[in-house]
Amino acid sequence: MKRGVVRVVIATLILALVVGVTGCAESGNTPPVAVYVSANQVVVFWDPSDSFSNEIIMMNNVYETLLRYDPEANKLTPVLATGYKTSDDGLTWTFDIRKGVKFHTGNELTADAVKASIERTIKRGNGASFIWAPVKDIKVLDPYKIEFDLSYAAPLDLIVASGYGAHIFDPKAVQQNGEDWFSQGHEAGTGPYQLDSFKGKEEVVLKKFDQYWGGWKGKHFDKVVFQEVSEAATRAQMVQAGQADFVDNLPIEQIERLKSDPKVTITQVPSYQNLLGLFNTKKPPLDNKLVRQALSYAVPYDQIIQDIMKGYATQAKGPVPKGLWGHDDSLPQYKLDLDKAKDLLKQAGYPNGGFKLLLTYASGDEIERQIAELTKASFAKLNVNLEIRGMPWEPQWDLGKATKPKDRQDIFVMYWWPDYTTPYSFLYNMFHSEDKVNFNLAYYNNADYDKLIDDGQKISGANRQKAVDLFGQAQKMLVDDAASLYFFDQMYVRAIRSDFQGYKDNPSYPHVVFFYDTHRGSK
Amino acid sequence: MRTYIIRRLLLGVLVLLGLTLLTFFIARVVPSDPAARWVGPRATLDQIARARVQLGLDKPIYVQYLRYMADLVHGNWGTSIVTHQPVLRDIKIYLPASLELIISGMILAVVIGIPLGVVSAAHKDRAIDHLSRAFSIGAVSLPTFWVAMILQLVFFGYLRLFPLSGELDPAIKLAYPMHQITGSYLFDSLITGNWVVFTNAFSHLILPAVTLAAYPLGLITRMTRSSMLEVLNEDYVRVARAYGMTERRITYLYALKNAIGPTVTVIALTTAYSLAGTFLIEAVFNWPGLGHYAADAVLAADYPAIMGVTILVAIFYIAMNLAVDIVQAILDPRIKAA
Repeated sequence: MKRGVVRVVIATLILALVVGVTGCAESGNTPPVAVYVSANQVVVFWDPSDSFSNEIIMMNNVYETLLRYDPEANKLTPVLATGYKTSDDGLTWTFDIRKGVKFHTGNELTADAVKASIERTIKRGNGASFIWAPVKDIKVLDPYKIEFDLSYAAPLDLIVASGYGAHIFDPKAVQQNGEDWFSQGHEAGTGPYQLDSFKGKEEVVLKKFDQYWGGWKGKHFDKVVFQEVSEAATRAQMVQAGQADFVDNLPIEQIERLKSDPKVTITQVPSYQNLLGLFNTKKPPLDNKLVRQALSYAVPYDQIIQDIMKGYATQAKGPVPKGLWGHDDSLPQYKLDLDKAKDLLKQAGYPNGGFKLLLTYASGDEIERQIAELTKASFAKLNVNLEIRGMPWEPQWDLGKATKPKDRQDIFVMYWWPDYTTPYSFLYNMFHSEDKVNFNLAYYNNADYDKLIDDGQKISGANRQKAVDLFGQAQKMLVDDAASLYFFDQMYVRAIRSDFQGYKDNPSYPHVVFFYDTHRGSK
Repeated sequence: MRTYIIRRLLLGVLVLLGLTLLTFFIARVVPSDPAARWVGPRATLDQIARARVQLGLDKPIYVQYLRYMADLVHGNWGTSIVTHQPVLRDIKIYLPASLELIISGMILAVVIGIPLGVVSAAHKDRAIDHLSRAFSIGAVSLPTFWVAMILQLVFFGYLRLFPLSGELDPAIKLAYPMHQITGSYLFDSLITGNWVVFTNAFSHLILPAVTLAAYPLGLITRMTRSSMLEVLNEDYVRVARAYGMTERRITYLYALKNAIGPTVTVIALTTAYSLAGTFLIEAVFNWPGLGHYAADAVLAADYPAIMGVTILVAIFYIAMNLAVDIVQAILDPRIKAA
């Protein structure tokens, strides 16, 4: 009897094994599905008012904004707003709301809903809600017309187009289900795709929203899957095997390897992301401008671009990345010149170097680590001993915020990208004086600079050219003061399936794929 | 027997208490700011300060611990810093995939390991014994992540027999939507008769299950072999032989029953251990299980999640230990008497 049982178990296992093996053969006739594979957690915040992380990749397919920025044409295209007007002083903005738009909840989009969405985001005060700081009042003029009154002439057209914190949702969904409803994993957007299912933080499936205002006449995907796969090698294998349409965050070696595969296309586009090394301008010897300039001449920029970045980056000119409005191409660049560096050190009173500095960077980031190593080797030629320390973000940031400037690091390496499409994000967050340290990790404190950029921001909604001039002057100050090392402006490099078509990288919405615009084509 | 079980359960509660205390303090002294983590990398100081109050992190650490325990008793396991979801809900999402992997790996280990150990003991110092010993030493000592990658390389890279990673092909999952009952694709598809999903899930399971089976397989084989060797030298075995019973009947019916005790202990303990120990396997195979969740939690110093997983594993361990003792008592009446 017992033996019989064992035999049945073994037979079943063998049978199942055989079935299993044959079962992994290709399956035909599946609906058009797109798969986005990311190195990061798919959803951090479900609440569109709080969203300020990777979930914007998924959310920009579920929610929409009033306008969307088109970086190629440098203009704004209508989405939920069909048009907008601004007063001459840039303080009053009127938007016409698109008619006939349905939320996924079935309710209709009106100016009231737009007002309530934005006011809820402001009230919660989480995530990127600070982008609405210039808004004084929101008035509903008629069911499809809304007016914003600003306290200064901020670029509201760019703010409403922000990928973070500007999504319009159905406020009735919150009124009926409670404030926490979104956070429990629900959505109430107007976008082409709606939530189908999700599993934890690492997988979200969207399905097409039949009543989408844009219609479903063209070629589109029926479903979109977002997956977190932390292993880079696995992500690369997935796009090669056709299991993924879009893969982000691949190390450069993997990109180089995938280039030769005809089933994979590599796209690259200049991003709005740059890498900086903020100098501690409050701590000797870096409180001396000459020392900062000397060190700026001691970084092997070309080697970083060619050997580490393999050409997927360009040396930065100042803190605003190339391609973003407000970037000033006439700014001077520091080049590797050790003789000049030695000269400057001598002038500063350090003829033989002889000091120690601490550089912190994000642990686990291979690019930052290699750059830190190269910089260390180069500084050593000036007899400057650079200690490099990889740290997780929170401790790195905590050290940067230590109460006494002398307890802090000397060089803080980090990436920056704008919250919405504005150079002010770079100029303000990293270099505007702060009472309490937040992101000004250069501890830069210059009243003239503050005035230039604040004035620029306050007129950028009325006279953008004037703003660009002011921002340009401010950047000259930063470069001359050598408040930071400006390593490079990054390219976004993606591996996509060759038959995944219609995709255009939009650096204003980092890593976002607007799946409605894409379809499965021929290879 | 009943007083014994009650005593063991009370002891288990004490162990749990000590464990929560230890884990809580270790997780909280690590230099990390959960409030900053909670609001994300681009938060303003004001947002972080509000989060600190919201999460109760502004209170002294012993108050935080007492609050945590009070919530725990009421069934609230806290909210994960990383996922912003209730920890219990996260565990319910990730546990089925882990259990699926552990159970299938352990079945594999037991079904192969015990007979191999028995055969090895019955044919001591012969070719099959040497072979099985070499095999079990290898299985125990090879690092799991290495085994995992070699299996991937061979069975996916060269032979294309099994999928690389994941629990199910995304295309299959979308084309054949499934009613979730337990959360395990394999089990749910089996009981709902969804064969396409079942075969796909099964083929995804094979490599990780084999990887997981390797270590317990080696242990079980060696444990079974050595206790069988002891038992086979006992007088009653000689008596049985004298009675003219077949060697097969003696080995599998009388000797194995008496030799299985230590093996049962090993099986139970490695099963419990696997619950937290699968994270290397889960990382390589991108298996959405609890190990994956726990590893992410540790890296992010996500203390509510770390606590949740620790408590779950501890409960599992205590339960397994108790189960072992009860099974031992049933298998061997001498233990009950003692």
